[in-house]
Amino acid sequence: MDEKLIRKDPSFFGRAGAGDKTPGAEPGWKTGDLPGSAPLAAGYVPEQRSARPVYEAADALTRGTLFPGLDLPFMNVVNKDSPYAGTHLGELMAISFVTHELTLYLDTHTQDREAFELLRNMLALKKEAHERYARLYGPVSADDMPGGTAFSWTRSPWPWETTGKEPDANVRI
Amino acid sequence: MFVYEKKLQYPVKVANTNPRLAMTILTQYGGPDGELGASLRYLSQRYTMPYDELKGLLTDIGTEELGHLEMIGTLVYQLTRNMSVEDVKKAGIDSYFVDHTAGIYPQSAGGVPWSAGGMQSSGDTIADLTEDMAAEQKARKTYDNILRLSDDPDVNNVIRFLREREIVHFQRFGEALRLVTERQDKRNIYAVNPGFDR
Repeated sequence: MDEKLIRKDPSFFGRAGAGDKTPGAEPGWKTGDLPGSAPLAAGYVPEQRSARPVYEAADALTRGTLFPGLDLPFMNVVNKDSPYAGTHLGELMAISFVTHELTLYLDTHTQDREAFELLRNMLALKKEAHERYARLYGPVSADDMPGGTAFSWTRSPWPWETTGKEPDANVRI
Repeated sequence: MFVYEKKLQYPVKVANTNPRLAMTILTQYGGPDGELGASLRYLSQRYTMPYDELKGLLTDIGTEELGHLEMIGTLVYQLTRNMSVEDVKKAGIDSYFVDHTAGIYPQSAGGVPWSAGGMQSSGDTIADLTEDMAAEQKARKTYDNILRLSDDPDVNNVIRFLREREIVHFQRFGEALRLVTERQDKRNIYAVNPGFDR
């Protein structure tokens, strides 16, 4: 991008300073590090510096990313809400999404201890949400049946059948 | 191995029937830049990836793409599950209907069945990761174009989610490519293929 354009709008790249209103933002949350000198003839994508800042779990699912710095919507139109926000299913989906997103981040940032700590906390929450959902509505995986009284794995609705009319999936917390 | 979870990654809940829109979205099920190709590309490339981070990343993104394939199948199913023969004729999807009824079949929007010809597993680490970055951009482009064509908010919600995933994956593949180039001989990063010359 044109250097002048960057100067005109310093907040575009999330540089902490007068133009940056993002709460908790560290310098350069929308930018990453490039080497000062690198071999020719290879692609270079800036490395994401940190797993912070992050969205809340429900917002992360709604937006499609945990990381505000990677949130680059088409025509700047974003989702307001995901269809199961505030339900047990929505909670399970949101927490599962955050653990997956953190795993992808850690795949390329294996030494980031802070991100790993966050992942561990979220994995504990995911286990709780998974067990709660399975207890209330039926198995998410076939392994969820040890406490069951009947073989319930095949019971509808299957994920593609869900319309939101089914009371089991859409009970507000 | 793979184990199924009886939930989608992101909820899909479409109220309206729209077979015509379904036929364009179907391209992300079985088209050249779709989720099936993405998943098979990454899950196939991972065998010859030389570094632990790359094996993990390709496994994790390849698995997520299978979840996206399921979301696309769900979108197409819900847009067509209540269609009548009249709806089929009005939407002009007779040629799909005669072969597949309301079944979900992996093909492009132009009717070409899914083909491995749209993807590569080259065994060359830098070539594969560079292809993966391009694949994410091509999928993002398709989602952009679906958003241009669709005026169904139930559909657009899901498409925006899937589109954003392509951007995150692009970032991760870009970081993976750097992990590779930084481990090569700085004087000539193409001296060897780390996925073959050990």
